[in-house]
Amino acid sequence: MEPAGAWVSGPPVVESDVESQALLVRSLHAGYDKLVVLSGVDLAVARGEWLALLGPNASGKTTLLHCIAGTLVPSAGSISICGHSLRGQAMEAKRALGFGSAPESLPDLLTGRQCLEIYAAAKGLTAIGGDVLALAEEFAFTVMLDRFLGSYSLGTRQKLAVLLALLGEPALVVLDEAFNGLDPASALVLKRHLRARVSARRCGVLLATHALDVVERYSDRAALLLNGRIAREWSGEELAVLRAAPGEGLEMALAAACAGS
Amino acid sequence: MAAHPYLSSRLLAWKNAYRYGRRRTLFAAALIVVGVGVVAVLPPTGPILGWLGQNWAVTLVIAATLFGLSTVRRRQRASIEAATSWLAALPRGIPVSMQVVAGTVARLTALVVFAALVRGIGAISRSDFARFALAATAGAALGLLGIWRRRRTGVGAPGFHYAIVRRARARWASAPSLSPLANWPAARGRILSQPKKTAPLLLFVMMAMPMGSPGQVAIAVAGVSVALFSVLNLTLAAVRVVFEAARWLAPTAVGKWRFIAALFWRVVLIQALTLAVLILLGSVVNPSRTLAVAMPLAALYLCASLVVVTAVAYGACRRVGLGASGRGV
Repeated sequence: MEPAGAWVSGPPVVESDVESQALLVRSLHAGYDKLVVLSGVDLAVARGEWLALLGPNASGKTTLLHCIAGTLVPSAGSISICGHSLRGQAMEAKRALGFGSAPESLPDLLTGRQCLEIYAAAKGLTAIGGDVLALAEEFAFTVMLDRFLGSYSLGTRQKLAVLLALLGEPALVVLDEAFNGLDPASALVLKRHLRARVSARRCGVLLATHALDVVERYSDRAALLLNGRIAREWSGEELAVLRAAPGEGLEMALAAACAGS
Repeated sequence: MAAHPYLSSRLLAWKNAYRYGRRRTLFAAALIVVGVGVVAVLPPTGPILGWLGQNWAVTLVIAATLFGLSTVRRRQRASIEAATSWLAALPRGIPVSMQVVAGTVARLTALVVFAALVRGIGAISRSDFARFALAATAGAALGLLGIWRRRRTGVGAPGFHYAIVRRARARWASAPSLSPLANWPAARGRILSQPKKTAPLLLFVMMAMPMGSPGQVAIAVAGVSVALFSVLNLTLAAVRVVFEAARWLAPTAVGKWRFIAALFWRVVLIQALTLAVLILLGSVVNPSRTLAVAMPLAALYLCASLVVVTAVAYGACRRVGLGASGRGV
């Protein structure tokens, strides 16, 4: 095993069968006008795997997630979700995707219940899943269902964004800073819920986060996005070693990797 | 400039807007110049300004009222900004009163320049222009007294309460549906049509009426104007909401035409019903003229509104990749 903080030339993209491949990103280049943000990102998330995406501010995590959601057109490279190319089979790919929108982009003038109904209909569901309603209950969100989003706090909006992402049993769940604003009890509920989904191989999770405790304790793998590409990856075993190391941990490994750049 | 962070940050924001969106900024500026020019050469503009110049007392009262209301609102906003701005922690800031006075001076200058433009094309006489400018200046000075209005405590979400017109359904629908999406532009339309936004426009409509018009005619004109503003605001609301809605639903597999239909059906229905009621009321007064003029105009507006919002929605869907196939590389 390589020591923590060591560099690798790039993450190896493992080709596996379409059934188990939740997400495959190859040589992705993207940016805004002349600003290049991503320059050759390779990433794979299998069904039954939780990948934490780390990186300093403005490293391109959200840009990568927006490319995966199809809201930003990459300049080069390919993205496939459950074997469906986001280019040629966008609708099939999006059916397998559960994307957590930014809380501030949720519509102020609709109620939580209306948002859930609209999103469920947009995903082509005939009913809102029992596990999503159970999660809403655990989040203590049901009392907020009939209030307008304009009156929601950041944490409550975050809960709704997560519930919307989990609607319809998506094979790939993509979340951006999903624990921002959540109270500790709700954060624990969400971590356990996602872990249970992943362990049951119901989905793969790609979580962009700065919460290192989530990465150390709940993720199967972690990847560091730096200078527009995946600069470093930590396997489950490496994360276990970092978790056990006294005084070291992922925080130091991450700082070393960033300083090395 | 470094000694005035508020001013320099605003200046930099303007410079950046021009630097990073040169075409858009120039287009917007050209649009404003053309719009002002068109309004200046419109046939009613000269007579209205001329009348205001001749009846300087009325102009003084109107200007004092409008500048007073504007002063009160800007003072409230400036106070909120002074407490919440990212520069609020800095020791030096622009005093609220100075910001309010500067805003009034800018507005008054714009008004006088516009009147000078109308004077320049010969639509009003020199004496009318001078009386109008003096009355407006005096009105603006009186309106500045609004600075000393007592502050209200507590700041709510502006305009938000206008959206809640009826109780939201407190149970699940029998099956998920996109239809609640239609509430979004309708609610935004109600916020745009709130009285404090339509009142100044209504004032101009009332001013355009000939002196000595009967009271019932004035009431009818006011009612019709409010209804027409709400119809127009629904179109504006639909255009404003569509990008946010498309971006929100882009990661789902919803088709673009289904999305467009779900977003706009309520807007179109409300507009059609409002116009139908207006035509019905108009036909009671003058059936032949209503059917000959109002009916085709209403149909034309509905069609134009539908075309505009559909075109904007289609562009928004393409831009954010909603329902798209073939995006990416």
